[in-house]
Amino acid sequence: MIKALEYFVEIIKGSLITCRHFIVNMVFHTLKVLGIKTKRKGAVTIQYPEEKKEIASRHRSLHRLMRREDGKPRCVSCMLCVTVCPSECIAVEATEDPDPEIQKIPAKFNIDMSRCCFCGFCVEACPEDAIRMDTAKIEIAEYARKDLIYGLDKLLG
Amino acid sequence: MVKIFIDDKELEVSNGLTILRAAEGAGIPIPHFCYHPAFAPEGSCRMCLVEISGLPKLELACSTVVREGMKILTASEKVIEARKAVLEFLLAEHPLDCPICDKAGECKLQDYFEEYGFFASRFKEAKEKREKKVQISKNLILDRERCILCTRCLRFLSEITKTQDVGVLNRGIHSEIAVYESNFIDNHYAGNLAELCPVGAITDTDFRFKTRAWFLVKKESICPMCSRGCNIFIDSHPGFARTPLAQRVYRIRARENQDINSFWICDFGRYHYSYIDQGRQERIVLKKEAKDTELSWEKALIILAEKVKSLVYLKKKSRIGVILNTWLTNEELYLADKVFKKGLGLENIYVVDPPSEKGDDFLLTEERTPNRRGLKEVGLPDLTPDLGKLALQTDLLLIFGTFLVGRFSVTELKSAFDKIGTKFLFAAHKSALDSLVDVVIPTPLIAEKGGSLTNVNGKVQSFSPALDNSLGLPEWKLLIDLAKELKINHKPFWQLSSPQAILEEMGRGIPFFK
Repeated sequence: MIKALEYFVEIIKGSLITCRHFIVNMVFHTLKVLGIKTKRKGAVTIQYPEEKKEIASRHRSLHRLMRREDGKPRCVSCMLCVTVCPSECIAVEATEDPDPEIQKIPAKFNIDMSRCCFCGFCVEACPEDAIRMDTAKIEIAEYARKDLIYGLDKLLG
Repeated sequence: MVKIFIDDKELEVSNGLTILRAAEGAGIPIPHFCYHPAFAPEGSCRMCLVEISGLPKLELACSTVVREGMKILTASEKVIEARKAVLEFLLAEHPLDCPICDKAGECKLQDYFEEYGFFASRFKEAKEKREKKVQISKNLILDRERCILCTRCLRFLSEITKTQDVGVLNRGIHSEIAVYESNFIDNHYAGNLAELCPVGAITDTDFRFKTRAWFLVKKESICPMCSRGCNIFIDSHPGFARTPLAQRVYRIRARENQDINSFWICDFGRYHYSYIDQGRQERIVLKKEAKDTELSWEKALIILAEKVKSLVYLKKKSRIGVILNTWLTNEELYLADKVFKKGLGLENIYVVDPPSEKGDDFLLTEERTPNRRGLKEVGLPDLTPDLGKLALQTDLLLIFGTFLVGRFSVTELKSAFDKIGTKFLFAAHKSALDSLVDVVIPTPLIAEKGGSLTNVNGKVQSFSPALDNSLGLPEWKLLIDLAKELKINHKPFWQLSSPQAILEEMGRGIPFFK
């Protein structure tokens, strides 16, 4: 019987905490709206699509392929990213470049975004610094799965 | 026999052996670039240095002959230091373009550099610039920056092919491998050079940039392109879970077998592998009035067995014809003999093979089929069919392989086949025959099934599948099923479940296969 009462006590305690947060946040929010106390913000949800949170500098977002100074992709299709990728979402096909100093360039470089787990191993493995995950783009949504396979054109951007 | 000590291990080795060979025989690896068991030792790479007690300097393991009581150290401090120095000198001129080098992953320089501790170079000077892309034969590209001047290619061309197309020009830092007056190495063993090169200096355009060595699954097999039966490795890519590849086989490499092909294979066998992945039959198809129906093997077997049974019942056995080929293994030819010749008592058994072509005096033979000798040893007649006669005297024709297309024109085949009641085709590839027959049954290739082949000199070599087979049952299984359905032979015969078991059974009947 007493044990059952303890449950109610805990429920009331929990509700009081929720109420406290609500009142505190509401008060600060109201004060801010009235222009009385502007520095301290009430904990209000960010209004996402219109308002965006700043992304940390080390955040791993959508990949991009880097270019050489002359505009060619920096990638030499060594396939180390393909090797290291834990979700097997990168597919690379190499082709011959007429410049004997470069020799190997990608003919096809596909990343299947629907499989990518954004671990960043490809960036770590790349010996040419050809792939980076610093575009700060995090909205990667499409209507069809096949559109989520990003090719050279999209990645070189 | 002399007694030597390698790293305190007492060894009894034959006279005249070099230290490197003696150590390799005892399972002690000595790093080397220029030494290759097929050639005379050269001693140009200095990687195989070992310490011999009583001698002031380090000696070359590849060219020093063992002496009685010799005490050899292969991993002493002095030796390790010397090898590191050799590596440092080699790497002073070697470009570190492993990411674009096809040899990466199976490169000796990479392996030894890892073994000796990834030390940093102390050279401040810039690396020498050399030509990176020199075409030296139809399929080979030489990269002079990567070359470590081990002269293996030079020795291959002077000792094995005896064509001597290549030499080392200039001296000192300017030395380079170059092709003499003729601008190309023109012999059909040149493909071995890419495999022979310990670094990525010679690469093969056929494999160049296609994939990386570490993705490949290396399985043993036997080359079916001629009757020599060279031992090979088939390197295939298993593909990725969600991105299947159109091509499975990326490369054929030679596998050592001193009795047959030593360390080499010809370019004909090396570059002909696209047939494995292209134009394959995929389903058992029954063709009736221009409509294709897919069948299971069980159903196709019943149809086939019914046809055979009815002809045998009507005493029209002589109206059944069988066309075999010698791409079939010993086991399959033996089963064909057991089922068709001995079991059913058929007379019209023919063999159609790919036509003979010019061979050479080294490995490539004239017969472009792997098991002609096996056919002879099994005891099947080697008869080529006369199409006109065949059409008149046959109601049911079983065709193995698509080589009829190479022998006869399609119009000839069509006019003959129109007169034959039922035609069954057992083939691995799509061909012009598909539209002329009634039932098509896909079969695996030699790379995908197990069995044994008899080479031109009568050597029986067993092999197991090097690739997955998902397209059809192997012929030996089809023939056993047919024997079971027709109740030919006895029960233990129907239960033979592997090529090894069939070979054992063959050994009991035919002494040659013992």
